Amino acid sequence: MTREEIYVKLNEVFQDVFDDEDITVNDATVAADVDGWDSLEHINLIVAVERCFGIKFTMGETTGLKNVGEMVDRIIAHLG
Amino acid sequence: MSLVSALFLVFVAAVLLLYYVVPKSFRIWVVMLASLVFAGFLGFYTLVFVLISAVLCYIGGLLSGAGRSNGARNAATIITVVINIALLCAVKYYNVIGSASERLDLLFGAVDGANSFFKYAVPVGMSFYVLQTTGYILDCRWEKITPEKNFFKVLLFSTYFPQLMSGPMNTYASLSAEFEKTKEVKFSISRITDGAVRVAWGFFKKLVIADRAAMVVNMIYADHVNFTGWYVPLGVFFFAIQLYCDFSGCMEVVIGVSHMLGIELPENFNCPFFSKTVKEYWRRWHITLGAWLRDYLMYPVLKSAPLIKIGDWSKAKFGKKNGKKVPTYIALLILWFAVGYWHGGLWNYVIGSGILHFVYIVLGMVFEPLFKKIRPKIGADKLYFRIFQSLRTFVLMLTGFVFFRSATVKDAIDMYAAIFRRGGVALNWANFSSSGMDLKNLIVLIAAVLVVVLVDAYKYVPSEDEKAKSAIAFLRSKGIVVLWAAFMFITVATLIFGMYGMGYNAGSFIYATI
Repeated sequence: MTREEIYVKLNEVFQDVFDDEDITVNDATVAADVDGWDSLEHINLIVAVERCFGIKFTMGETTGLKNVGEMVDRIIAHLG
Repeated sequence: MSLVSALFLVFVAAVLLLYYVVPKSFRIWVVMLASLVFAGFLGFYTLVFVLISAVLCYIGGLLSGAGRSNGARNAATIITVVINIALLCAVKYYNVIGSASERLDLLFGAVDGANSFFKYAVPVGMSFYVLQTTGYILDCRWEKITPEKNFFKVLLFSTYFPQLMSGPMNTYASLSAEFEKTKEVKFSISRITDGAVRVAWGFFKKLVIADRAAMVVNMIYADHVNFTGWYVPLGVFFFAIQLYCDFSGCMEVVIGVSHMLGIELPENFNCPFFSKTVKEYWRRWHITLGAWLRDYLMYPVLKSAPLIKIGDWSKAKFGKKNGKKVPTYIALLILWFAVGYWHGGLWNYVIGSGILHFVYIVLGMVFEPLFKKIRPKIGADKLYFRIFQSLRTFVLMLTGFVFFRSATVKDAIDMYAAIFRRGGVALNWANFSSSGMDLKNLIVLIAAVLVVVLVDAYKYVPSEDEKAKSAIAFLRSKGIVVLWAAFMFITVATLIFGMYGMGYNAGSFIYATI
């Protein structure tokens, strides 16, 4: 799966979790850029991403992701 | 050894002298030696427990790290974490979990077990370093870090003397990176000055404000048969001042001393009493505890299979929007129970520092859609509403402080009842000042609290995610003379107005006894 293809699916996940069809994310997107992305909603997002891509983030990844770019890097690594 | 004692200042001066005299590569050994000596000063049991905790942490980390089967790593993590936490519970909460009848007694008011061995053996600061070392083991398991092979580095991580008693809690990744910097740190007067100003500011908060406010607090909390009506909110208000200046004062000393060594520690306070909501308050008060519990307790719970199953069920039952909140509420309940329990194990802590805050936060979340609609209609962007939000949050905090400072739940409930009870002593100056708070003391207290409020108002940044402004950087920008004048003013004010001297023992930091 290419990075672009991952972003297509990832945007859908973000739109679904944060209930906002206008959300589009990129490598530089951080929690402060998305309305409602707080520490509680973060886990809902992580679980939704895991289900969408059929992967499992480690707890280190769950708490250590600095931006969406890093999230995509980790998704690519898990997909092998 | 108290952090607010002449002995501690002499100890720090000796450590600094040695630290900057020896070759840079030996500095870390000076810090290590100082940490073990400091632990020894805290008592034999403390020294023994920090050593046990460090060994456990070291072994747990090695066995939990990558390179072994997942089953073996899980087993190692579970065993070492459980032993670590069990040690804390067994030693610190022996009186609470002693027997079923004791548990009931505690629930309904009695505090017993005064002669237990464990009561005397409770190592100082154990609640802090046990969480920190547990975090290390979990970080190894979750592959956030590579297990440290050098035992002495783990030993230093778990015993680092400034933060040993009261935090701030730290991760191995950040603290070990700071330790590495000691090889490069250059001695500079400005580093020592900045650290000294923070230490002096901590002494000021503790000795001028906290220990002075304690006079009123001790009188009212000890006797709410006589001190009823308005005395109760007055006592709780003074306790809020005492607790904030006590704990944040302690952090000033800890962070200031560490800064002088070139080892930066995370801030634990960010102007908490300016918070708009209870949720925000907890991101500004005891920040490192909140972060620890979020990363090592709440996230794993929320990500666990049972909670995900509950989430699926509740979304199917109550709809996506409401249903996804159910596992969040369950995780928050577990989190706040843990916060309360960590503070002391007794029910007054579980309620006052835990469950009550859970209720406030969940109510805030439940009614948020309604508040969102109301806010534009009542001019929520105006200054008066902003002030109202901070006052409301402060009052909600006070309701928890009633429990926090009381000996038992029964005591706390009686304090609430005392607000409405008649027959106590009259609210007048003679009765109020019988606490020792005479006019001179009250004027000093008010003036000192105003200084703290002004400093916090300067430091305050609306977003709790951003760092507070540095008052020291501000003073330095006005010239070195201004900074030194501030240091002299704080020091002289503490020497003149501080609660110390012959025959007076500064009260121990409240959080050092947790």
